Amino acid sequence: MVTEEFGSSKRRTIITLVVWLGFIVVVGRLYQLQYIYSAEYGKKSEENSIRKIVEEPVRGYVYDRNDKLIVDNRPSYSVMLTPIDFNKKNLPFLSQILGLPEEAILEKIKRARQYNPFMPARIKRDIDFRTLSILEEYKEQLPGVKIQTESKRYYASPASASHLLGYVKEISDYQLERLGDYYQQGDVVGSVGIEAKYEKYLRGQKGYEFISQNARGQMIGTFNNGKDDIPPHDGLDLHLAVDAGVQALAESLMTDRCGAVVAVDPNNGGVIAMVSAPEYNLSDFSGVTPPELWKALNDDDSKPLFNRATLTRYPPGSTFKMVLAIAALENHVVNENYRIVCRGSFKFGNKVFRDEHVHGSVNIIEAIQKSCNVFFYQLMLKVGLDPWAAVGKEFGFGELSDIDILEENPGLLPTTDYFNRVYGKGKWTQGYLVSLGIGQGEIGVTPLQMADYCAMLANKGHHYQPHIVDYIYNNRTHKTETVAYKKDSIHVSERTWDIVREGMRRCVMSPGGTGWEARIPGIEVAGKTGTAQNPHGKAHAWFIGFAPFDHPKIAICVLVENAGYGGSFAAPIAGLCMEKYLYGEIIQPQPARNTPVSLKDTAITPRVTLVQKAVQPGSSIQTQKIVKTSPESLRH
Amino acid sequence: MNSFFKEHFDHTTLWTTLALIVIGLLSIYSATFDMQAGRSFDHQLVWTAIGLVLMIVALATPLRLIQRSAYIVYALSLALLIIVLAIGKKVYGSTSWFGIGGFGIQPSEFVKVTTLLALASYLSRSDVSIGKTTDILKACGFVLLPVALIMLQPDLGTSLTFIAMLLPVLYWAGASQFLIVALLTPPIIAVAALIGTTTFVVVLALVGVALYLLREDMFSSSLMFGVNAVVGIFVQVVYEKLALYQQKRISTFLNPNNDPLGAGYNVIQAKVAIGSGGLFGKGYLHGTQTQLNFIPKQWTDFIFCVPGEEFGFIGAIVILTLFAILFLHGVKLAHVAKNKFGSITALGITALFAFHMFVNIGMSVGLMPVIGIPLPFLSYGGSSLCSFMILAGLLMNVYANRKEY
Repeated sequence: MVTEEFGSSKRRTIITLVVWLGFIVVVGRLYQLQYIYSAEYGKKSEENSIRKIVEEPVRGYVYDRNDKLIVDNRPSYSVMLTPIDFNKKNLPFLSQILGLPEEAILEKIKRARQYNPFMPARIKRDIDFRTLSILEEYKEQLPGVKIQTESKRYYASPASASHLLGYVKEISDYQLERLGDYYQQGDVVGSVGIEAKYEKYLRGQKGYEFISQNARGQMIGTFNNGKDDIPPHDGLDLHLAVDAGVQALAESLMTDRCGAVVAVDPNNGGVIAMVSAPEYNLSDFSGVTPPELWKALNDDDSKPLFNRATLTRYPPGSTFKMVLAIAALENHVVNENYRIVCRGSFKFGNKVFRDEHVHGSVNIIEAIQKSCNVFFYQLMLKVGLDPWAAVGKEFGFGELSDIDILEENPGLLPTTDYFNRVYGKGKWTQGYLVSLGIGQGEIGVTPLQMADYCAMLANKGHHYQPHIVDYIYNNRTHKTETVAYKKDSIHVSERTWDIVREGMRRCVMSPGGTGWEARIPGIEVAGKTGTAQNPHGKAHAWFIGFAPFDHPKIAICVLVENAGYGGSFAAPIAGLCMEKYLYGEIIQPQPARNTPVSLKDTAITPRVTLVQKAVQPGSSIQTQKIVKTSPESLRH
Repeated sequence: MNSFFKEHFDHTTLWTTLALIVIGLLSIYSATFDMQAGRSFDHQLVWTAIGLVLMIVALATPLRLIQRSAYIVYALSLALLIIVLAIGKKVYGSTSWFGIGGFGIQPSEFVKVTTLLALASYLSRSDVSIGKTTDILKACGFVLLPVALIMLQPDLGTSLTFIAMLLPVLYWAGASQFLIVALLTPPIIAVAALIGTTTFVVVLALVGVALYLLREDMFSSSLMFGVNAVVGIFVQVVYEKLALYQQKRISTFLNPNNDPLGAGYNVIQAKVAIGSGGLFGKGYLHGTQTQLNFIPKQWTDFIFCVPGEEFGFIGAIVILTLFAILFLHGVKLAHVAKNKFGSITALGITALFAFHMFVNIGMSVGLMPVIGIPLPFLSYGGSSLCSFMILAGLLMNVYANRKEY
């Protein structure tokens, strides 16, 4: 190739010419834009500037398993303020109308100004009708202030289901950073429960309207006749496995108590009811949540915001005995003919473990039926920690159930490794195991895990992922989208199932069973009571049960904190909920449960006494009235 | 002392550079003082201070030392690019940032400097001949290596700046005009082919004329012409095979007016801003387009709109004049510098400045596709400001040593 001299004058000239040529083109273009067409562009900048305005979609609705609407939307009015148009002289007046301190309004204006002084920003959400009418009246005196119609959540069902449904609230700065581009300041976002988990489905897709605006930021009409607008897509609807009737009944039964009720369908894992008591009122969150309310809810000793159904970690007490029974039978440690004599206590080393009663000679079925502790103390030592924990793990203990809400605790299922880690190898003894045999000591379960476990006892080992949402309905394509849930099963012999389930059946149905208060007229119920000792007060009452015995349709777990015996305090609630689910109503005469009973002095009056009262002369009218009362109205 | 200053101190570069930086700061302030991004101005002030220190370092370091250590610095900067690919922050879709505290650092901006120095150092070696194909390929290798790494981020605009620096440097170093045409024409033909068949045919004809004027031998000329024709046809065939949305993306890139609400939005708003500025502008802090924030993030790539709107045609001419003084001074310096390394460095610096300026302003006035590269000294961004200030410092260094061999 021919090369020329490095850095020659000729090349310098050519490069200089290229640079000049570039400048001539750019200056020519600037002359064209800024001189020849300047008037035209000036007009454009004055009149025809395009702005994007967000159009909010309607959040998806939520229905129960009977297609009853439980979460609805209602119009709500927000006060919007455009910083550039607002006259600061009006601040005291606006503050008076809205009932907000001037500094609070100023702070919001400041933030809005930083984002964009020409865009309306929300000053107050969900104003009442009085404020609305005053603002309408003084519209002329308050330039830059306008009302925007939006929608807010409205809870249409008597079931409050607060922990399960969850609430939506204004997006926080942290969420704004984490959740990405879709959201902007002032948007609402699902924060707890299925509102959070299904946020992407429920929220829909924002639309955009393009409008023309002049240099003072005033709207002067649609752009291109609205041809470029993107309409919003409304959110998808959720159809839950929840039965709003059962949910409402369970909530009413838990009024003034602390605890949880979880009922699942043993045939598919659908959550029929999930109550955490005490509850809070979701409507308090649908508009503006006053900070005092937040503080009150957070400071409340009974922790109403805490979802006890999925987050508490209590020892399950005797309800856990079936795990040990299955571990013993499957490992051929004992069989159904094995008997012991219960003398009311069990001595291990120099420690005495007590039983509630002297049960005499019991086999494994009777030990479940009567909840004999001595039998299971001894059995635990025969089976050993790890085989027992292995069965517990198969039933899902110590692990997240992967239910479709985000708030969940895996609980604790101890193993040899766990004790070695906590206490050190060789520094713990077999004595630690004895109480585990009756579900006490270092073990923690959630009511949800217990309901899940009960469902597996009901359907003989099929494990369905518990879920609240059954399917999602797309109202745009008119198609339902089923949600895929995991399922698997555990291998336990038919014989073992028969023995354990018979023990549970007798626990409710036979004389001497501890769970008889869960009975339902005309239907065989199986269950197990639990009374978990608690160093800080009265024992926690547990009950798990399922019905009908032969073809179970519901499995339930009830936990009442600091109440006392599981048979007296948890079993009746479970019985009523299952009855409501299976019959669609309560067919037995019921007490009027509208007056909340204080947790400290009264328990649920045993059912039989109620029935007897009902047939007494003079009380029949009242009984009639109560029978007619629908469970939904029990809450009021 | 005075005469020493007159002799060795590069007043032209210093004052034009500082003037441009001040205009940039004023523009950033105007674009952001009313917004959340209001801290941009403060950040840029801090960066300017850092840049001044780097500029002095670049000026004061002996040129010989720079020449000798160019390879090592180049290698280190490439290592940095690889690290940023592995652990960098993703901003606007490309992984090109290191986050240190509140400040982000974009190594690719600094790699421009190190690559230029390595290239200049290589080409100024006495055993390297620009006439040898292997040496030319090696020279290209110095540039293609960082280009490949930056394309992985991916950042097309920054990659293009490297190529834009390579061609003038090779030309200055004495490569044949034919080689320059051979490297330059295929991309032009490809773009022409994307615009349309008519444009393609016209440009191909122009290439034919250019080849004829170069009076190269018949074989090479016709080979070159053939290559160009094939490239053009190939591009057109591939374009036809693309999915509709991909075609749309390309056509929008070449002509943003096709998509007024999407990619074209910025360009249209930028043109409205500059055009509505008129002869004298709307006055500082009074540009309605600027103050209404019609152009998203305009303090970075669309910064030219701010003086364009608020100071009008006069303001734009002032900025262009400053750039013109700087460029012509750079080219002159490259010509008079006795030292080959210094000469090539000066020309490369000028080429980098000029390419950035023409593409950036061309983009703001709707003459160029939207390629996100900064306007030297004006755009918001610490890494680019610092690297441009280092380049200015180097230019002043070459000036001080221009009479040394």
